[in-house]
Amino acid sequence: MYRQILHTLWSALRLPVVLLAVLAFAVPLLTVTYGGSLADAPAGRVAEWLFAAQQIGVLIPGLALLVGLLLGIGTWMHDHAGKHVYALSLPVSRERYVLLRFAAGGTLLLVPVAALAAGSLIAVASVSLPSGIHAYPVPLVVRFFFASLLCYAVFFAISISTRRAALAVLGAICGVLFADLLLAAIGVEATVTPTVFMWLTNWPGPLSILIGRWALFDV
Amino acid sequence: MCRRGLLLILALGGTAPVARAQAPRGGVAVARAKLARAESLLAVVARRDSASRQSLYAARRAVIYEAGAVTAVLPDAVGRETGRLVVSGARRYLDGVVPEQFLSARVAVAYAATGVDSVLRARNLDARARVMADVTPRPDSLSDGWAVAAALARAYAETLDSTWRAWLPPALAVGWTLKRDGPAAVRELMRTDTRSGADCLAGGAGACRLWLGLDADANPYTARYRPEELRRMIVGRWFAVNGAMDLAHQCTTGSDDACVRLASLGLLPPVPAGASPLSSLLVFVRAHGPAGALARALQDTRGSVGDRLGRATGTSPDSLVAGWRIWLLTGGGQPRVTAGWRDVLPVLVFGALLLLAAVRSGRWR
Repeated sequence: MYRQILHTLWSALRLPVVLLAVLAFAVPLLTVTYGGSLADAPAGRVAEWLFAAQQIGVLIPGLALLVGLLLGIGTWMHDHAGKHVYALSLPVSRERYVLLRFAAGGTLLLVPVAALAAGSLIAVASVSLPSGIHAYPVPLVVRFFFASLLCYAVFFAISISTRRAALAVLGAICGVLFADLLLAAIGVEATVTPTVFMWLTNWPGPLSILIGRWALFDV
Repeated sequence: MCRRGLLLILALGGTAPVARAQAPRGGVAVARAKLARAESLLAVVARRDSASRQSLYAARRAVIYEAGAVTAVLPDAVGRETGRLVVSGARRYLDGVVPEQFLSARVAVAYAATGVDSVLRARNLDARARVMADVTPRPDSLSDGWAVAAALARAYAETLDSTWRAWLPPALAVGWTLKRDGPAAVRELMRTDTRSGADCLAGGAGACRLWLGLDADANPYTARYRPEELRRMIVGRWFAVNGAMDLAHQCTTGSDDACVRLASLGLLPPVPAGASPLSSLLVFVRAHGPAGALARALQDTRGSVGDRLGRATGTSPDSLVAGWRIWLLTGGGQPRVTAGWRDVLPVLVFGALLLLAAVRSGRWR
């Protein structure tokens, strides 16, 4: 049954998955557009190169977010369109069906991850690095996989949630923003949004994997 | 000033129309009276301004504050609470940099305090050497004790041997912080146009030693610079030293020897790195070396700066600069891209919770 669901998903999502794979393949290669040899390069060039690696690295968590968003919503797209009649007609429990859907979407997620791995390896192979600068293709790809998986899980859960749950999430976000406005209006020097953001993105916050250094080449 | 200007405008505004209209004698008298009144008011304002300024800059009564080995005499205008913050802040800045023996033999004196002699004599502190801290009586200029700490650090630096004195950044890097000043040091390393700096950025420990001037090179200008780098620094500059312009001319027209000879006159910095990267190295030693490493290194008088720092930290100079380079370039050793259990665990936990929520979703119920 997993194979059938995977096949259906692939048929429905192959275009965005292939586009995401192309993007994931291209991003690490952008890092090496500054040139292939840094052996005797002047300081300015090495600095530009490191700076470019860091700037391009910032795109990678954004790409993970995009992968998670498209796959998380895309996984349930056809079920939503068919009012879940097909899923309810299947001789499997609801829990098992959700797990199968999650696994199938997670399998498709491996396509952009593999593309990023290929792009990173080609980028690393095409440069000669000086002794103090190192390439980190494996940690980058593993981190990208888990960041994509997290985003995928978030949007997968939001897609299948009830309207009440979705409204609760939206209400929580609006509540935080409203609390900030209220505090500002009464002249209290305290902010809620940055605190919540810090809580979410600082370890062990659930989104901490999206923050931090993402450069393929670093010291 | 504003009040004075306002009065002047009022006075001129009151008299000018009268003058323009060529009023009869009675009108002129009124205008003259108004002018006299304005002038007298101006004089009053000027006297008040002068008095308030004098009170601001006037010497205040001296008060002694102590924190550990740090003793400072500050004007009473500073206030007791701020005074305590100043000396405790200065002590924190100097901890692990300046030995307590040095501090306990000195007293930092802020400007504009009267009766310093009598106050010190009363506490039997008049035998201590006085170090003038460059602050004004305004409490905000004292900040958090940096001015007092910097004055004491500068005084201590003057007692060190010539190797240290020639190398050390101002005030022994007291107050340099990675968060605030680190980006400037990184920028300097990234924008350096010397070969040693470029190789240091690329990871060469030997190049970092050269760029930071850590080795005892017989001729630093030949060891740490390439002739073309010296030439770049010399082009377009004016040297007011006898014979220097001749050497500058020879240098710019192709003589490498002239470039080195000109630089050796002391007209160019012997260390390619500026004060900020040198300060960062001292802060790195203080923060990441064994306890008291920087203070020990500063008391050491054998070998080069690199040898002294290496001995104090118990590592080779190469290991030291390699650690410093990563610390500086990563903003305090923040890890490069990582994917260990620490990173993955929140994803697995949160992902499992989300999956559980999806499985138990009430959408089909």
